[in-house]
Amino acid sequence: MNTSLQGWGLWVALAGATIGTYICRAVGVLLAKRINQESEIFRYLAAVTYAMVAALVVRMVLMPIGLLSTVPVWIRLLICILSIGVMVSRPTHRLVPALLTGTLLMLAYGIIR
Amino acid sequence: MSSADQPYIDPSEIVLEDSAAQRFKNHRVAFWAGMRDAAGAPAMVLFAGMVGFGAMGKTNGMDAWFTTATSFFMFALPGQVVLLEMAITGSSIVAIILAVTLTSSRFITMTMTLFPQFHEKDRNHGLYASVHLLAMTPWAISMREFRTIEAKHRSSYFIGLGLLCWIISIPGTILGYLLAGIVPPYITLGLVFINPLFFLLTFAEVKPWINRIAIGLGFVLGPFFFILDRDTSLLTTGLVAGTIAYLFDRKVLRKRAGVMS
Repeated sequence: MNTSLQGWGLWVALAGATIGTYICRAVGVLLAKRINQESEIFRYLAAVTYAMVAALVVRMVLMPIGLLSTVPVWIRLLICILSIGVMVSRPTHRLVPALLTGTLLMLAYGIIR
Repeated sequence: MSSADQPYIDPSEIVLEDSAAQRFKNHRVAFWAGMRDAAGAPAMVLFAGMVGFGAMGKTNGMDAWFTTATSFFMFALPGQVVLLEMAITGSSIVAIILAVTLTSSRFITMTMTLFPQFHEKDRNHGLYASVHLLAMTPWAISMREFRTIEAKHRSSYFIGLGLLCWIISIPGTILGYLLAGIVPPYITLGLVFINPLFFLLTFAEVKPWINRIAIGLGFVLGPFFFILDRDTSLLTTGLVAGTIAYLFDRKVLRKRAGVMS
């Protein structure tokens, strides 16, 4: 099948995706009742989750799909490094300036290229 | 505070300790504080992400109802992007459902790490409704803020935070759908970059070394497992990197004094 999904098939896929996503959330609730916040398993799962989110981020930055993939990888990395630099330049609350730095740099690259 | 006999303490830590005792008066105050916290940079970021997704739906010939319904029912940008990509390239319905569910598997551990921090009496069947509000943005903010919020007000704070994030994602998607084709590509480029950048920046605020190691290993192992097998890579990276970080913390770090763990 090489043509894109059409009509009702699309909605069936959405329904399945919605149910699958909700099941993951619900399973979390079910299991959350059984673990204590201070327990070893909590520390372990926090580490697993952070690693998973890190993997998602590195995928979005290094191996993006669509428009971002038209930007050279070194530009993407350079903008990330500069933004982190702004973020850690003071110990507290520099998220918005750092975010603006990265976004505006990317926008600037889009204009001059 | 700055007297010479005072041992060096990170200034941010002092503020945390002070406010930890009683940050909110009641549930309503906590709820609105969550809404307010969402109304700043995080909601702006999520909004931009949804605008980007709406634009993606439009440029790929999806109808507006379908694109918007995706945000409303799924409220998980990575999963939504996977759904859209696979639908466009003509994958089978079963493959799409499996891939999206795997992408959402991170919600299992996210929920398991966040909800046990709620007060005992808030951990009831209502959680099955409020869990829909859990996405990466509300999770990251809650994990950071819960340290300074008393347990009994955490649930109200989370619902205020998550509710606003969810509600604004609908007009965000519609706006992106309508804007696509009107704005020049460089603006869209800035918008699509906001999501990964925000997640990256929140890592700078992670303090415990066990989680820092997990993030570092996730960066290194993520691409490796991605090449090995796309669909399961998030799950395998999380398990392998998380296990290594945990064992290293347990065997090495905890035996050293002065290391924050």
